[in-house]
Amino acid sequence: MSFFSDATHLFVRSMKKLVRNPILVFFSLFQPIIFLLLFTQLFSGLGRFLGAGILSYTAFATAGIVLQNAFSSAFQSGTAVVDDIKSGFLSKMLATPVNRSAILFGRLLSDVFRVVVQTVIILVLAYALGVYPATGAIGYLLVIFTVAFFGLAWSGISLALGLKTKSAETVFGIAGAVTFPLLFMSTALVTADFMPPWMQDVSTYNPVSIAVNAIRNPITGCNVAQRVCNIGFDWNTILQAYGVIAAIGLVTLGATLYLFRKVVS
Amino acid sequence: MPGIIDVSQLVKTYGDGTKAVKGITFSVNEGEFFGFLGPNGAGKSTTIKILTTLLQKTSGFASVAGLNVDSDAAKIRKIIGVQNQDTVVDEDLTGRENLVLQGQLQQMHGPAIKERVDDLLKIVDLVDAADKRAGFYSGGMKKRLDLATTLVHNPKILFLDEPTTGLDPQSRAAIWAYLKRLNEQGITIFITTQYLEEVDRLCRRLAIVDLGEIVAQGTPGDLKQEIGADSISLGFENSSLNGGDVRTKARQVLEKKFDGVSNIVDSDIGLTVYAKNGSYMVPELVRAFDEAQIRLSTIGVSSPTLDDVFLKHTGKRIRVEEVSSANMRGMFGRRRR
Repeated sequence: MSFFSDATHLFVRSMKKLVRNPILVFFSLFQPIIFLLLFTQLFSGLGRFLGAGILSYTAFATAGIVLQNAFSSAFQSGTAVVDDIKSGFLSKMLATPVNRSAILFGRLLSDVFRVVVQTVIILVLAYALGVYPATGAIGYLLVIFTVAFFGLAWSGISLALGLKTKSAETVFGIAGAVTFPLLFMSTALVTADFMPPWMQDVSTYNPVSIAVNAIRNPITGCNVAQRVCNIGFDWNTILQAYGVIAAIGLVTLGATLYLFRKVVS
Repeated sequence: MPGIIDVSQLVKTYGDGTKAVKGITFSVNEGEFFGFLGPNGAGKSTTIKILTTLLQKTSGFASVAGLNVDSDAAKIRKIIGVQNQDTVVDEDLTGRENLVLQGQLQQMHGPAIKERVDDLLKIVDLVDAADKRAGFYSGGMKKRLDLATTLVHNPKILFLDEPTTGLDPQSRAAIWAYLKRLNEQGITIFITTQYLEEVDRLCRRLAIVDLGEIVAQGTPGDLKQEIGADSISLGFENSSLNGGDVRTKARQVLEKKFDGVSNIVDSDIGLTVYAKNGSYMVPELVRAFDEAQIRLSTIGVSSPTLDDVFLKHTGKRIRVEEVSSANMRGMFGRRRR
């Protein structure tokens, strides 16, 4: 079956490109790390209002920063596809018997891998800053899995944009225009109490808020919205987030698949 | 007998109504070195994309190695090598890795790939640079690597779109030498290029397309002969003969004795004579002038070039363009040429 071998070969290609351009890993990590180091200090006073003083702001914000990174990193996926289109590498591949879907799958696989590597770096850094996993190693594995899942769904948007517009600038432009409003109107970096009422409404339905809850719970062992801690895994929150991410993923990856079919046919 | 490439009434109309190919018919025989020439926008790249299964035709028929481009696309991809006009190598990978990846995409397996890649690196003289990243290669090296990637799976047919455009003369000569060798080994080569001297030397047959239609096809010799006249340039030892002008005298000789002459023009050294099969005429010319006591200092024959052929059929001279960023668009640019 050529699908798996082709996808593997193309995944390996992407990995080599990544290792040889480490800037690709660190480019999108730069901002989250600044956030982790400075933002958390700037807002350390917020800790008093969180989880009845049990939770430090750094621990609270780590989840948001992990998600922010996944967000901006996933938005880079589309630019790699644009590169392959513009350089002619895609058409070179298409003139071979390579499995068409494997081209897309190999790409997604390497994007998810990149997000996972970045997430691990952030979590290690957070650990050094005193953020210990409340739910242990299993909790962190769950965090990584959730981030990968979330990254996959968002990569879809970026890939679809890249395939549709064939312009890296457009992908970056839209990414910037979408990332910050969604991030700041979510509970990624503050709790809902700090927002004006209209923003609280937005935040409640903001998929970023929903996803961040599923990451925050394993890290902190809390349900911050309900101000309870030491509850272990909060499966309700986690599964709700998975439902939302899956719905987003279906739409974005569906669109990607559709546009990709159009490009390769 | 069907050719290895058969195209009949092929039409491609793009979504925006642009008619890139308007019903062309041609056929390429197995083992042929076939030139596909035309000015920019003639429909060359569109035709190549259809033949290499990268683009769907609008109507007509096209087959490669007896396989239909619509229904047997997957089978065609296994036996063709395709080189794009833009050099396409992954600059983050080494030369060897580029070749190995291409072998993998061609569904070859480990040991076979390794052996083939080692051979190819030798063939295109990249053994020393094999483990350097392609990003550090010169333009000529990248092009050679690109050519090698199209050969990994021992294709029966090579489609080359401007394989030497933008290269320095030395690299260009190297590529043409490789192509000649490949063709001698039995690979059919289908090539678009702006270098007519190479076409003349290497292509057994060619077709000229203009505005989506084939305006001429045949062997380079036939096409040039169609132009009609060779030019014979004559230089005279003395400018006068027996008190008369030597040119006038010579004209009289030519007009009286040679039917094939189509035109006679004064030149700096004497006369330029246009005639069919000029070279065959030379001995008789010399004899006739000798009899008339006209002494020749020089005599030279030049045949019509493919450039003349191209000019006659398209109204344009082919011009070699340097690679510019405007040419660097990928396959999804609507219509490059």
